[in-house]
Amino acid sequence: MIRFSGASVTYGGGVHALKDLDLEIADGEFVVIVGLSGAGKSTLIRAVNGLVPLTSGSLDVNGHEVTALSRRGVRDLRADIGMIFQGFNLVNRTSVINNVLMGRLHRVPTWRTLIGLYPKDDVEIAMRALERVEIVEKAYVRAANLSGGQRQRVGIARALAQEPKIILADEPVASLDPPTSHVVMRYLQQINRELGITTIVNLHFLDLATAYADRIIGLRSGELVFDGSGAEADATVFENIYGRSLTADDTMAKEAAGL
Amino acid sequence: MSDASLSSAVVRQGRPRRPPPSAFGIGVGVVVIVLTILTTWNWKYGTGFSPAEVLRKLRNRNPVVSAIAHTEFSQVFSPRSRNAFVETLRLAVLGSVSGIVVALPLALWSTRFGAPNRLVLIVVRAVCNVIRAFPDILWAVLFVAAVGIGALPGLLALFLFSIAVVTKLTADTLDGIDMGPIEAAHASGAGHSQMLRTAVVPQILPAYASYSLYAFELNLRASVVLGLVGAGGIGQRIEFFRNQPAWEKVWGLVVMFVIVVFIVDRLSTLLRRRLV
Repeated sequence: MIRFSGASVTYGGGVHALKDLDLEIADGEFVVIVGLSGAGKSTLIRAVNGLVPLTSGSLDVNGHEVTALSRRGVRDLRADIGMIFQGFNLVNRTSVINNVLMGRLHRVPTWRTLIGLYPKDDVEIAMRALERVEIVEKAYVRAANLSGGQRQRVGIARALAQEPKIILADEPVASLDPPTSHVVMRYLQQINRELGITTIVNLHFLDLATAYADRIIGLRSGELVFDGSGAEADATVFENIYGRSLTADDTMAKEAAGL
Repeated sequence: MSDASLSSAVVRQGRPRRPPPSAFGIGVGVVVIVLTILTTWNWKYGTGFSPAEVLRKLRNRNPVVSAIAHTEFSQVFSPRSRNAFVETLRLAVLGSVSGIVVALPLALWSTRFGAPNRLVLIVVRAVCNVIRAFPDILWAVLFVAAVGIGALPGLLALFLFSIAVVTKLTADTLDGIDMGPIEAAHASGAGHSQMLRTAVVPQILPAYASYSLYAFELNLRASVVLGLVGAGGIGQRIEFFRNQPAWEKVWGLVVMFVIVVFIVDRLSTLLRRRLV
Protein backbone atom coordinates (compact mmCIF):
# COMPACT_ATOMS: atom_id res chain seq x y z
CA MET A 1 0.00 0.00 0.00
CA ILE A 2 1.09 3.55 -0.75
CA ARG A 3 -0.13 6.39 1.46
CA PHE A 4 0.76 10.07 1.05
CA SER A 5 -0.23 12.25 4.04
CA GLY A 6 0.19 16.00 3.76
CA ALA A 7 3.03 15.37 1.34
CA SER A 8 4.73 18.38 -0.26
CA VAL A 9 7.72 18.73 -2.56
CA THR A 10 9.28 22.14 -3.15
CA TYR A 11 12.19 22.36 -5.55
CA GLY A 12 15.02 24.83 -5.22
CA GLY A 13 13.80 28.11 -6.72
CA GLY A 14 10.48 27.83 -4.90
CA VAL A 15 8.57 25.62 -7.38
CA HIS A 16 5.83 23.73 -5.52
CA ALA A 17 5.66 20.42 -7.39
CA LEU A 18 3.38 18.74 -4.83
CA LYS A 19 1.18 20.59 -2.35
CA ASP A 20 -0.18 18.95 0.77
CA LEU A 21 -1.14 15.72 -1.00
CA ASP A 22 -3.31 13.08 0.70
CA LEU A 23 -3.61 9.92 -1.34
CA GLU A 24 -3.96 6.22 -0.74
CA ILE A 25 -3.30 3.55 -3.34
CA ALA A 26 -4.23 -0.04 -2.44
CA ASP A 27 -2.28 -3.15 -3.47
CA GLY A 28 -3.01 -4.33 -7.00
CA GLU A 29 -4.62 -1.12 -8.25
CA PHE A 30 -4.04 0.22 -11.78
CA VAL A 31 -3.89 3.98 -11.34
CA VAL A 32 -3.37 6.55 -14.07
CA ILE A 33 -2.21 10.03 -13.12
CA VAL A 34 -3.19 12.80 -15.52
CA GLY A 35 -2.35 16.47 -15.62
CA LEU A 36 -0.53 19.04 -17.71
CA SER A 37 3.23 18.93 -17.88
CA GLY A 38 4.53 20.57 -14.73
CA ALA A 39 1.46 19.51 -12.74
CA GLY A 40 3.58 17.25 -10.52
CA LYS A 41 2.97 13.83 -12.11
CA SER A 42 6.66 12.93 -12.40
CA THR A 43 7.36 14.25 -8.90
CA LEU A 44 4.56 12.13 -7.43
CA ILE A 45 5.84 8.97 -9.12
CA ARG A 46 9.48 9.65 -8.20
CA ALA A 47 8.54 10.32 -4.59
CA VAL A 48 7.25 6.75 -4.27
CA ASN A 49 10.71 5.21 -4.82
CA GLY A 50 12.61 8.03 -3.15
CA LEU A 51 14.18 9.47 -6.31
CA VAL A 52 12.60 12.77 -5.24
CA PRO A 53 12.56 13.36 -1.46
CA LEU A 54 9.53 14.94 0.21
CA THR A 55 10.05 18.44 1.61
CA SER A 56 7.34 17.87 4.22
CA GLY A 57 4.59 15.41 5.12
CA SER A 58 4.88 11.66 5.15
CA LEU A 59 4.81 8.81 2.67
CA ASP A 60 4.30 5.18 3.58
CA VAL A 61 5.20 2.56 0.97
CA ASN A 62 4.66 -1.13 1.83
CA GLY A 63 4.85 -0.27 5.51
CA HIS A 64 8.07 1.79 5.29
CA GLU A 65 8.18 5.52 5.96
CA VAL A 66 10.15 6.65 2.88
CA THR A 67 11.29 9.92 4.45
CA ALA A 68 12.95 8.07 7.34
CA LEU A 69 14.80 5.39 5.37
CA SER A 70 18.58 5.05 5.43
CA ARG A 71 20.59 4.80 2.19
CA ARG A 72 20.49 1.04 2.48
CA GLY A 73 16.77 1.16 3.30
CA VAL A 74 16.03 3.23 0.20
CA ARG A 75 17.86 0.66 -1.95
CA ASP A 76 15.89 -2.18 -0.37
CA LEU A 77 12.65 -0.30 -1.02
CA ARG A 78 13.58 0.41 -4.65
CA ALA A 79 14.33 -3.26 -5.23
CA ASP A 80 10.58 -3.90 -4.80
CA ILE A 81 9.56 -1.07 -7.14
CA GLY A 82 10.08 -1.37 -10.89
CA MET A 83 10.27 1.80 -12.97
CA ILE A 84 9.55 2.47 -16.64
CA PHE A 85 10.66 5.69 -18.33
CA GLN A 86 9.55 7.92 -21.19
CA GLY A 87 13.00 7.77 -22.79
CA PHE A 88 13.33 4.01 -22.04
CA ASN A 89 16.69 4.63 -20.28
CA LEU A 90 18.30 1.55 -21.78
CA VAL A 91 22.04 1.20 -22.35
CA ASN A 92 22.04 1.18 -26.14
CA ARG A 93 25.54 -0.23 -26.54
CA THR A 94 24.83 -3.45 -24.70
CA SER A 95 22.55 -6.43 -25.26
CA VAL A 96 18.88 -6.61 -24.34
CA ILE A 97 19.51 -9.33 -21.74
CA ASN A 98 22.21 -7.22 -20.05
CA ASN A 99 19.71 -4.36 -19.85
CA VAL A 100 17.08 -6.61 -18.30
CA LEU A 101 19.62 -8.04 -15.84
CA MET A 102 19.93 -4.51 -14.45
CA GLY A 103 16.64 -5.34 -12.76
CA ARG A 104 18.41 -8.12 -10.83
CA LEU A 105 21.29 -6.00 -9.48
CA HIS A 106 19.83 -5.75 -6.01
CA ARG A 107 19.97 -9.55 -5.64
CA VAL A 108 23.36 -10.06 -7.34
CA PRO A 109 26.63 -9.65 -5.41
CA THR A 110 28.71 -6.65 -6.51
CA TRP A 111 31.74 -8.74 -7.51
CA ARG A 112 29.60 -10.81 -9.86
CA THR A 113 28.22 -7.63 -11.44
CA LEU A 114 31.74 -6.22 -11.91
CA ILE A 115 32.94 -9.26 -13.87
CA GLY A 116 29.58 -9.61 -15.62
CA LEU A 117 28.96 -13.15 -14.37
CA TYR A 118 25.29 -13.35 -13.39
CA PRO A 119 23.89 -16.39 -11.53
CA LYS A 120 21.85 -18.80 -13.70
CA ASP A 121 18.67 -18.18 -11.70
CA ASP A 122 18.84 -14.45 -12.32
CA VAL A 123 19.40 -14.94 -16.06
CA GLU A 124 16.37 -17.27 -16.01
CA ILE A 125 14.22 -14.60 -14.33
CA ALA A 126 15.37 -12.03 -16.90
CA MET A 127 14.54 -14.41 -19.77
CA ARG A 128 11.07 -15.06 -18.34
CA ALA A 129 10.50 -11.31 -18.10
CA LEU A 130 11.41 -10.97 -21.78
CA GLU A 131 9.01 -13.82 -22.61
CA ARG A 132 6.17 -12.01 -20.85
CA VAL A 133 6.57 -9.02 -23.19
CA GLU A 134 7.19 -11.41 -26.11
CA ILE A 135 10.61 -10.16 -27.14
CA VAL A 136 12.84 -12.96 -25.86
CA GLU A 137 14.16 -13.67 -29.37
CA LYS A 138 16.01 -10.32 -29.18
CA ALA A 139 17.82 -11.23 -25.95
CA TYR A 140 21.32 -11.05 -27.47
CA VAL A 141 20.61 -8.15 -29.84
CA ARG A 142 22.03 -4.74 -28.97
CA ALA A 143 19.38 -2.43 -27.56
CA ALA A 144 20.41 0.19 -30.15
CA ASN A 145 19.06 -2.06 -32.91
CA LEU A 146 15.47 -2.13 -31.58
CA SER A 147 12.48 0.04 -32.51
CA GLY A 148 10.92 2.40 -29.96
CA GLY A 149 8.11 -0.01 -29.08
CA GLN A 150 10.54 -2.91 -28.68
CA ARG A 151 12.78 -0.78 -26.44
CA GLN A 152 9.88 0.07 -24.15
CA ARG A 153 9.00 -3.62 -23.91
CA VAL A 154 12.59 -4.26 -22.83
CA GLY A 155 12.08 -1.42 -20.32
CA ILE A 156 9.02 -3.25 -18.97
CA ALA A 157 10.97 -6.53 -18.84
CA ARG A 158 13.72 -4.80 -16.84
CA ALA A 159 11.12 -3.63 -14.31
CA LEU A 160 9.51 -7.11 -14.22
CA ALA A 161 12.90 -8.76 -13.62
CA GLN A 162 12.92 -7.06 -10.23
CA GLU A 163 9.86 -9.18 -9.34
CA PRO A 164 8.41 -5.95 -7.95
CA LYS A 165 5.36 -5.26 -5.80
CA ILE A 166 4.85 -1.89 -7.48
CA ILE A 167 5.53 -0.65 -11.03
CA LEU A 168 5.91 3.06 -11.73
CA ALA A 169 5.62 4.19 -15.35
CA ASP A 170 6.52 7.79 -16.15
CA GLU A 171 4.94 8.75 -19.50
CA PRO A 172 5.75 5.29 -20.91
CA VAL A 173 4.19 5.94 -24.31
CA ALA A 174 5.02 9.62 -24.89
CA SER A 175 7.81 8.71 -27.34
CA LEU A 176 5.74 6.11 -29.24
CA ASP A 177 3.22 6.16 -32.09
CA PRO A 178 -0.48 5.36 -31.32
CA PRO A 179 -0.61 1.64 -32.27
CA THR A 180 2.62 0.95 -30.37
CA SER A 181 1.28 2.94 -27.41
CA HIS A 182 -1.71 0.63 -27.16
CA VAL A 183 0.54 -2.43 -27.29
CA VAL A 184 2.63 -1.09 -24.41
CA MET A 185 -0.44 -0.08 -22.38
CA ARG A 186 -1.98 -3.54 -22.87
CA TYR A 187 1.20 -5.20 -21.58
CA LEU A 188 1.08 -2.99 -18.48
CA GLN A 189 -2.61 -3.79 -17.92
CA GLN A 190 -2.03 -7.52 -18.40
CA ILE A 191 0.89 -7.51 -15.95
CA ASN A 192 -1.25 -5.69 -13.40
CA ARG A 193 -4.14 -8.14 -13.74
CA GLU A 194 -2.17 -11.38 -13.94
CA LEU A 195 0.58 -10.68 -11.45
CA GLY A 196 -1.32 -8.31 -9.16
CA ILE A 197 1.46 -5.72 -9.27
CA THR A 198 0.28 -2.26 -8.19
CA THR A 199 0.78 -0.05 -11.25
CA ILE A 200 0.95 3.74 -11.39
CA VAL A 201 1.16 5.30 -14.85
CA ASN A 202 1.59 8.94 -15.85
CA LEU A 203 -0.22 9.83 -19.06
CA HIS A 204 -1.24 12.99 -20.81
CA PHE A 205 -3.63 11.51 -23.39
CA LEU A 206 -7.20 11.44 -22.02
CA ASP A 207 -8.45 8.58 -24.21
CA LEU A 208 -5.55 6.34 -23.17
CA ALA A 209 -6.20 7.17 -19.53
CA THR A 210 -9.91 6.34 -19.64
CA ALA A 211 -9.32 3.21 -21.76
CA TYR A 212 -6.89 1.53 -19.34
CA ALA A 213 -7.27 3.06 -15.88
CA ASP A 214 -9.22 1.45 -13.05
CA ARG A 215 -8.75 4.71 -11.22
CA ILE A 216 -7.76 8.16 -12.45
CA ILE A 217 -6.01 10.76 -10.34
CA GLY A 218 -5.95 14.33 -11.64
CA LEU A 219 -3.23 16.75 -10.63
CA ARG A 220 -3.21 20.51 -11.24
CA SER A 221 -0.22 22.59 -10.09
CA GLY A 222 0.74 19.98 -7.53
CA GLU A 223 -2.73 19.56 -6.04
CA LEU A 224 -5.15 16.64 -6.24
CA VAL A 225 -8.19 17.87 -8.20
CA PHE A 226 -9.78 14.56 -9.18
CA ASP A 227 -9.84 11.02 -7.86
CA GLY A 228 -12.31 8.56 -9.35
CA SER A 229 -12.90 5.67 -11.72
CA GLY A 230 -12.16 5.85 -15.43
CA ALA A 231 -15.90 5.89 -16.16
CA GLU A 232 -16.48 8.95 -13.99
CA ALA A 233 -13.83 10.96 -15.80
CA ASP A 234 -15.67 12.79 -18.57
CA ALA A 235 -14.80 15.91 -20.56
CA THR A 236 -15.90 18.28 -17.75
CA VAL A 237 -13.64 16.51 -15.31
CA PHE A 238 -10.66 16.79 -17.65
CA GLU A 239 -11.36 20.46 -18.33
CA ASN A 240 -11.19 20.97 -14.59
CA ILE A 241 -7.92 19.03 -14.33
CA TYR A 242 -6.34 20.95 -17.19
CA GLY A 243 -7.90 24.26 -16.19
CA ARG A 244 -8.81 24.94 -19.83
CA SER A 245 -11.04 23.59 -22.61
CA LEU A 246 -9.86 20.41 -24.34
CA THR A 247 -8.08 20.39 -27.70
CA ALA A 248 -7.20 17.75 -30.27
CA ASP A 249 -3.72 17.52 -28.75
CA ASP A 250 -5.19 16.08 -25.56
CA THR A 251 -6.33 12.81 -27.11
CA MET A 252 -4.18 10.35 -28.97
CA ALA A 253 -6.91 9.24 -31.43
CA LYS A 254 -7.65 12.76 -32.68
CA GLU A 255 -3.99 13.68 -32.82
CA ALA A 256 -3.32 10.54 -34.85
CA ALA A 257 -6.17 11.42 -37.23
CA GLY A 258 -4.44 14.75 -37.84
CA LEU A 259 -7.22 16.94 -36.48
CA MET B 1 15.44 29.15 -64.29
CA SER B 2 14.01 27.92 -61.02
CA ASP B 3 16.23 30.32 -59.11
CA ALA B 4 14.70 33.34 -60.81
CA SER B 5 11.13 32.20 -60.24
CA LEU B 6 11.91 31.55 -56.58
CA SER B 7 13.40 34.99 -55.99
CA SER B 8 10.53 36.74 -57.75
CA ALA B 9 7.87 34.78 -55.88
CA VAL B 10 9.31 35.46 -52.41
CA VAL B 11 8.68 38.88 -50.94
CA ARG B 12 11.86 40.47 -49.63
CA GLN B 13 11.54 40.77 -45.88
CA GLY B 14 13.58 42.59 -43.26
CA ARG B 15 16.62 40.33 -43.29
CA PRO B 16 19.04 40.62 -40.40
CA ARG B 17 22.41 42.26 -41.03
CA ARG B 18 25.41 40.00 -40.87
CA PRO B 19 26.72 40.51 -37.31
CA PRO B 20 30.20 42.08 -36.98
CA PRO B 21 33.05 39.81 -35.82
CA SER B 22 33.05 39.41 -32.05
CA ALA B 23 35.32 41.59 -29.92
CA PHE B 24 36.72 38.42 -28.34
CA GLY B 25 37.76 36.96 -31.69
CA ILE B 26 39.48 40.20 -32.73
CA GLY B 27 41.19 40.45 -29.34
CA VAL B 28 42.60 36.91 -29.54
CA GLY B 29 43.86 37.55 -33.06
CA VAL B 30 45.61 40.79 -32.04
CA VAL B 31 47.23 39.18 -28.98
CA VAL B 32 48.57 36.24 -31.04
CA ILE B 33 50.10 38.58 -33.65
CA VAL B 34 51.61 40.97 -31.06
CA LEU B 35 53.09 38.10 -28.99
CA THR B 36 54.62 36.52 -32.09
CA ILE B 37 56.29 39.79 -33.10
CA LEU B 38 57.49 40.59 -29.57
CA THR B 39 59.12 37.19 -29.07
CA THR B 40 60.80 36.91 -32.46
CA TRP B 41 62.00 40.56 -32.80
CA ASN B 42 65.66 41.23 -32.09
CA TRP B 43 65.46 43.17 -28.80
CA LYS B 44 66.04 42.67 -25.10
CA TYR B 45 63.21 40.12 -24.53
CA GLY B 46 63.07 38.71 -28.06
CA THR B 47 64.85 35.77 -29.66
CA GLY B 48 66.07 37.60 -32.74
CA PHE B 49 64.78 34.84 -34.96
CA SER B 50 65.85 34.84 -38.60
CA PRO B 51 65.04 32.10 -41.15
CA ALA B 52 68.20 32.90 -43.12
CA GLU B 53 70.36 32.14 -40.10
CA VAL B 54 68.61 28.79 -39.55
CA LEU B 55 69.34 27.78 -43.14
CA ARG B 56 72.97 28.94 -42.90
CA LYS B 57 73.58 26.98 -39.71
CA LEU B 58 71.99 23.84 -41.13
CA ARG B 59 74.28 24.06 -44.18
CA ASN B 60 77.39 24.22 -41.99
CA ARG B 61 79.28 20.97 -41.82
CA ASN B 62 78.22 19.26 -38.62
CA PRO B 63 78.88 15.66 -37.58
CA VAL B 64 75.22 14.84 -36.90
CA VAL B 65 73.92 15.75 -40.34
CA SER B 66 76.88 14.36 -42.27
CA ALA B 67 76.52 11.03 -40.45
CA ILE B 68 73.14 10.49 -42.14
CA ALA B 69 74.95 9.49 -45.32
CA HIS B 70 76.83 6.79 -43.40
CA THR B 71 73.89 5.43 -41.41
CA GLU B 72 74.85 2.02 -40.03
CA PHE B 73 71.87 -0.11 -40.95
CA SER B 74 73.71 -3.05 -39.38
CA GLN B 75 72.50 -1.68 -36.02
CA VAL B 76 69.08 -3.07 -36.95
CA PHE B 77 70.55 -6.59 -36.63
CA SER B 78 72.80 -6.05 -33.63
CA PRO B 79 71.69 -8.30 -30.74
CA ARG B 80 72.43 -5.65 -28.11
CA SER B 81 70.34 -3.07 -29.91
CA ARG B 82 67.60 -5.61 -30.39
CA ASN B 83 67.61 -6.43 -26.69
CA ALA B 84 67.40 -2.74 -25.85
CA PHE B 85 64.48 -2.49 -28.24
CA VAL B 86 62.65 -5.41 -26.68
CA GLU B 87 63.10 -3.71 -23.33
CA THR B 88 61.53 -0.53 -24.74
CA LEU B 89 58.53 -2.48 -26.05
CA ARG B 90 58.21 -4.26 -22.74
CA LEU B 91 58.29 -0.94 -20.92
CA ALA B 92 55.65 0.52 -23.21
CA VAL B 93 53.32 -2.49 -22.85
CA LEU B 94 53.70 -2.85 -19.08
CA GLY B 95 53.47 0.90 -18.44
CA SER B 96 50.37 1.22 -20.63
CA VAL B 97 48.51 -1.82 -19.31
CA SER B 98 49.11 -0.99 -15.63
CA GLY B 99 48.28 2.67 -16.25
CA ILE B 100 45.02 2.15 -18.12
CA VAL B 101 43.76 -0.37 -15.55
CA VAL B 102 44.13 2.27 -12.83
CA ALA B 103 42.84 5.04 -15.11
CA LEU B 104 39.32 3.59 -15.54
CA PRO B 105 38.20 3.81 -11.90
CA LEU B 106 40.02 7.14 -11.51
CA ALA B 107 38.14 8.56 -14.51
CA LEU B 108 34.81 7.28 -13.14
CA TRP B 109 35.48 8.70 -9.68
CA SER B 110 36.50 12.07 -11.07
CA THR B 111 32.96 12.78 -12.30
CA ARG B 112 30.10 14.15 -10.23
CA PHE B 113 27.82 11.16 -10.78
CA GLY B 114 30.60 8.57 -10.55
CA ALA B 115 32.27 9.58 -7.28
CA PRO B 116 30.92 7.61 -4.31
CA ASN B 117 31.17 10.77 -2.19
CA ARG B 118 32.49 14.34 -2.28
CA LEU B 119 35.76 13.52 -0.54
CA VAL B 120 36.67 10.90 -3.17
CA LEU B 121 35.76 13.36 -5.93
CA ILE B 122 38.03 16.09 -4.56
CA VAL B 123 40.97 13.77 -3.79
CA VAL B 124 40.84 11.93 -7.14
CA ARG B 125 40.61 15.17 -9.10
CA ALA B 126 43.55 16.64 -7.18
CA VAL B 127 45.68 13.52 -7.70
CA CYS B 128 44.90 13.47 -11.43
CA ASN B 129 45.75 17.16 -11.79
CA VAL B 130 49.13 16.66 -10.10
CA ILE B 131 49.97 13.61 -12.24
CA ARG B 132 49.01 15.52 -15.38
CA ALA B 133 50.91 18.68 -14.45
CA PHE B 134 54.27 16.82 -14.54
CA PRO B 135 55.59 15.96 -18.02
CA ASP B 136 56.69 12.32 -18.48
CA ILE B 137 60.37 13.26 -18.75
CA LEU B 138 60.23 14.96 -15.35
CA TRP B 139 58.68 11.85 -13.77
CA ALA B 140 61.50 9.82 -15.34
CA VAL B 141 64.20 12.16 -13.95
CA LEU B 142 62.60 11.99 -10.50
CA PHE B 143 62.30 8.19 -10.54
CA VAL B 144 65.85 7.72 -11.85
CA ALA B 145 67.02 9.80 -8.91
CA ALA B 146 64.80 7.85 -6.52
CA VAL B 147 65.28 4.20 -7.60
CA GLY B 148 68.40 4.36 -9.78
CA ILE B 149 69.18 3.91 -13.49
CA GLY B 150 67.37 1.07 -15.30
CA ALA B 151 63.99 -0.08 -16.55
CA LEU B 152 62.07 0.45 -13.29
CA PRO B 153 62.06 4.29 -13.35
CA GLY B 154 60.97 4.15 -17.00
CA LEU B 155 58.13 1.80 -16.14
CA LEU B 156 56.96 4.03 -13.28
CA ALA B 157 57.09 7.14 -15.46
CA LEU B 158 55.06 5.49 -18.25
CA PHE B 159 52.58 4.14 -15.69
CA LEU B 160 51.86 7.67 -14.44
CA PHE B 161 51.89 9.11 -17.97
CA SER B 162 49.27 6.55 -19.10
CA ILE B 163 47.10 7.39 -16.11
CA ALA B 164 47.29 11.08 -16.97
CA VAL B 165 46.37 10.63 -20.64
CA VAL B 166 43.63 7.99 -20.30
CA THR B 167 41.98 9.52 -17.21
CA LYS B 168 41.68 12.93 -18.84
CA LEU B 169 40.29 11.68 -22.17
CA THR B 170 37.92 9.18 -20.55
CA ALA B 171 36.63 11.77 -18.10
CA ASP B 172 35.84 14.09 -21.02
CA THR B 173 33.89 11.28 -22.70
CA LEU B 174 32.01 10.63 -19.45
CA ASP B 175 30.73 14.22 -19.53
CA GLY B 176 28.69 13.43 -22.62
CA ILE B 177 27.08 10.10 -21.75
CA ASP B 178 23.34 9.35 -21.55
CA MET B 179 22.25 9.81 -17.92
CA GLY B 180 19.02 7.81 -18.41
CA PRO B 181 20.50 4.38 -17.62
CA ILE B 182 22.04 5.80 -14.43
CA GLU B 183 18.58 6.84 -13.25
CA ALA B 184 17.26 3.40 -14.18
CA ALA B 185 20.02 1.68 -12.18
CA HIS B 186 19.35 3.86 -9.14
CA ALA B 187 15.61 3.21 -9.45
CA SER B 188 16.21 -0.55 -9.38
CA GLY B 189 18.08 -0.36 -6.08
CA ALA B 190 21.53 -1.06 -7.55
CA GLY B 191 24.67 -0.29 -5.54
CA HIS B 192 27.03 2.47 -6.65
CA SER B 193 29.70 0.22 -8.20
CA GLN B 194 26.99 -1.89 -9.83
CA MET B 195 25.49 1.26 -11.35
CA LEU B 196 28.88 2.33 -12.75
CA ARG B 197 29.58 -1.12 -14.17
CA THR B 198 26.19 -1.69 -15.83
CA ALA B 199 24.96 1.81 -16.74
CA VAL B 200 28.17 3.78 -17.40
CA VAL B 201 31.03 1.46 -18.44
CA PRO B 202 29.23 -0.05 -21.48
CA GLN B 203 28.67 3.48 -22.78
CA ILE B 204 32.34 4.49 -22.65
CA LEU B 205 34.05 1.14 -23.31
CA PRO B 206 34.83 1.70 -27.02
CA ALA B 207 36.21 5.19 -26.38
CA TYR B 208 38.20 3.95 -23.39
CA ALA B 209 39.72 1.11 -25.43
CA SER B 210 40.64 3.59 -28.15
CA TYR B 211 42.31 5.94 -25.64
CA SER B 212 44.20 3.00 -24.17
CA LEU B 213 45.67 2.13 -27.56
CA TYR B 214 46.51 5.78 -28.10
CA ALA B 215 48.28 5.85 -24.74
CA PHE B 216 50.32 2.84 -25.86
CA GLU B 217 51.38 4.67 -29.04
CA LEU B 218 52.44 7.70 -27.00
CA ASN B 219 54.26 5.47 -24.50
CA LEU B 220 56.28 3.76 -27.21
CA ARG B 221 57.62 7.13 -28.35
CA ALA B 222 57.99 8.48 -24.84
CA SER B 223 60.00 5.43 -23.78
CA VAL B 224 62.82 6.54 -26.13
CA VAL B 225 63.01 10.00 -24.58
CA LEU B 226 62.91 8.46 -21.11
CA GLY B 227 65.92 6.28 -22.01
CA LEU B 228 67.96 9.44 -22.62
CA VAL B 229 67.76 10.27 -18.91
CA GLY B 230 68.70 6.74 -17.90
CA ALA B 231 65.29 5.09 -17.66
CA GLY B 232 66.20 2.01 -19.72
CA GLY B 233 65.42 0.73 -23.21
CA ILE B 234 66.55 1.88 -26.63
CA GLY B 235 66.84 5.49 -25.45
CA GLN B 236 69.65 4.52 -23.13
CA ARG B 237 71.52 2.91 -26.04
CA ILE B 238 71.01 5.98 -28.21
CA GLU B 239 72.44 8.04 -25.39
CA PHE B 240 75.43 5.62 -25.20
CA PHE B 241 76.31 6.11 -28.90
CA ARG B 242 75.68 9.85 -28.70
CA ASN B 243 78.30 10.19 -26.00
CA GLN B 244 80.96 8.29 -28.01
CA PRO B 245 79.99 10.13 -30.38
CA ALA B 246 78.93 7.63 -33.04
CA TRP B 247 76.17 9.35 -34.99
CA GLU B 248 76.12 6.70 -37.75
CA LYS B 249 75.01 4.18 -35.13
CA VAL B 250 72.47 6.60 -33.66
CA TRP B 251 70.90 7.02 -37.09
CA GLY B 252 70.79 3.25 -37.52
CA LEU B 253 68.82 2.98 -34.30
CA VAL B 254 66.54 5.80 -35.41
CA VAL B 255 65.74 3.94 -38.65
CA MET B 256 64.94 0.82 -36.63
CA PHE B 257 62.72 2.80 -34.30
CA VAL B 258 60.84 4.58 -37.08
CA ILE B 259 60.00 1.22 -38.68
CA VAL B 260 58.62 -0.21 -35.44
CA VAL B 261 56.65 2.93 -34.54
CA PHE B 262 55.20 3.05 -38.04
CA ILE B 263 53.98 -0.55 -37.83
CA VAL B 264 52.54 -0.12 -34.33
CA ASP B 265 50.85 3.14 -35.35
CA ARG B 266 49.19 1.58 -38.37
CA LEU B 267 47.94 -1.42 -36.41
CA SER B 268 46.67 0.75 -33.60
CA THR B 269 44.93 3.20 -35.94
CA LEU B 270 43.22 0.33 -37.77
CA LEU B 271 42.04 -1.15 -34.48
CA ARG B 272 40.84 2.17 -33.13
CA ARG B 273 38.84 2.85 -36.28
CA ARG B 274 36.97 -0.39 -35.68
CA LEU B 275 36.26 0.58 -32.07
CA VAL B 276 34.57 3.96 -32.29
